[in-house]
Amino acid sequence: MPAPNSKPVKRLLNLIRPWRGLGMLVLALCVCMLLMPLRLPGLAIGDIAPNWLLIWLVSFSLNRPVLVAVIMGMAIGLVHDALTIPQELTGSVPSHVWGMMLISGLTALLQKQRYLREDFISVALIVFGMTVIAETAIAIQWSLLSFDANFARKYDLGQIWTQQQRIALVSALVSGLWAPALHFPLTRLRIPQLDNRP
Amino acid sequence: MEAVRRWWDRYAGQLLIALFALILAIAFRYSNGSLWLEIYQFLSRPWQSSHQQQLVVEEAKIRELRYRILELEMQNNQLRQMISLPSTLSTQSTWAQVIGRSADAWWQQVIISKGSRDGITAGAIATGAGGLVGRITDTSPHSSRVLLISDPSSSVGVVVSRSRALGILRGQSQGTGVLEFLDRDPDAKVGDSVATSAFSTLYPEGLPVGRIRSINLNHQPAPEAVVDFSAPIPALEFVKVYARP
Repeated sequence: MPAPNSKPVKRLLNLIRPWRGLGMLVLALCVCMLLMPLRLPGLAIGDIAPNWLLIWLVSFSLNRPVLVAVIMGMAIGLVHDALTIPQELTGSVPSHVWGMMLISGLTALLQKQRYLREDFISVALIVFGMTVIAETAIAIQWSLLSFDANFARKYDLGQIWTQQQRIALVSALVSGLWAPALHFPLTRLRIPQLDNRP
Repeated sequence: MEAVRRWWDRYAGQLLIALFALILAIAFRYSNGSLWLEIYQFLSRPWQSSHQQQLVVEEAKIRELRYRILELEMQNNQLRQMISLPSTLSTQSTWAQVIGRSADAWWQQVIISKGSRDGITAGAIATGAGGLVGRITDTSPHSSRVLLISDPSSSVGVVVSRSRALGILRGQSQGTGVLEFLDRDPDAKVGDSVATSAFSTLYPEGLPVGRIRSINLNHQPAPEAVVDFSAPIPALEFVKVYARP
């Protein structure tokens, strides 16, 4: 077995080094997608689990150009749609795309103008706020649907907004609490010591 | 004589106690130890699992009901065959484990461990212990997603079992649903059981859905009732999937 410093290993490491950050992001995204339907004790409050995809998206959008963030927001919105919306209802129910695009854009803007420093609390706070915005975007879409004559009997406006309060608050709380758990490994591994070595 | 008196002086107390004990023992013997049983029962009360007995009785009751239902179902099927109506539920069914919940709080879904490889297609009916649970909406080879009846976007055509009053049941994202009656003045009472109706296009007829918890007859535009689902929707562990009717 070759030592870690031997030539082939070094060459291999050099080969994958530019892709390592991307690999970590993709891996984290896969883990997030798998975590979405889980309701582990201590991880969920009242059947509402952290929105891992949203945490990932906020973590991604920090310190990135707005356009890149918005496009990634669109992608994540589509992924979230795929995880939840039943096939037969596609198109006639709210999509996550708008909310996700909005929050990724906002997050990118936030960091650009240095309103907040990047630390433990601010990440949790940003995720908290962004979750509220994303859930409100969904609620607004449900409300618009309830004005549509075809669905008026089906979706009740009062019920949507009482639900929105419950979901937005609880989801924001658990997502905010768990945000650092995802954000810090991602950022730390993106700029490791290795890259600064001469 | 002196010896007897001395013995008496010395042991009278003990003798009396022994005699008293004997009398008590005889009384105890004739009562077959019921006092002891009582005391034992009283003292052991904290350690008794009172529901154990109840469980046995309940199980027996459930078994009785199950046999009666089986009997009625058989009769019903025979009668249906006589008048050549199709049978309600498909005979093809499979049990599946619930392995996840919905990936979004706005949706009420579960993910189950059987998919298209096991013959499950979109539109198949999922039932749990207690009654109707939902409908398969998406399948993958080894897994599928169930839209629960507690989801606001799933509506079930239902009928009040006792009076045959028709209505549409919609979920409210938690353990209850709202039944909107089609009739202006429906014959329904608190406690009535609700089942899927023959007019439901998505669900077979006659599946138990829940019980009416409260009724609001003055609700506009149609009278409403709150229905408790009979299946334990928030705590589902297994579902039985029937092929599409």
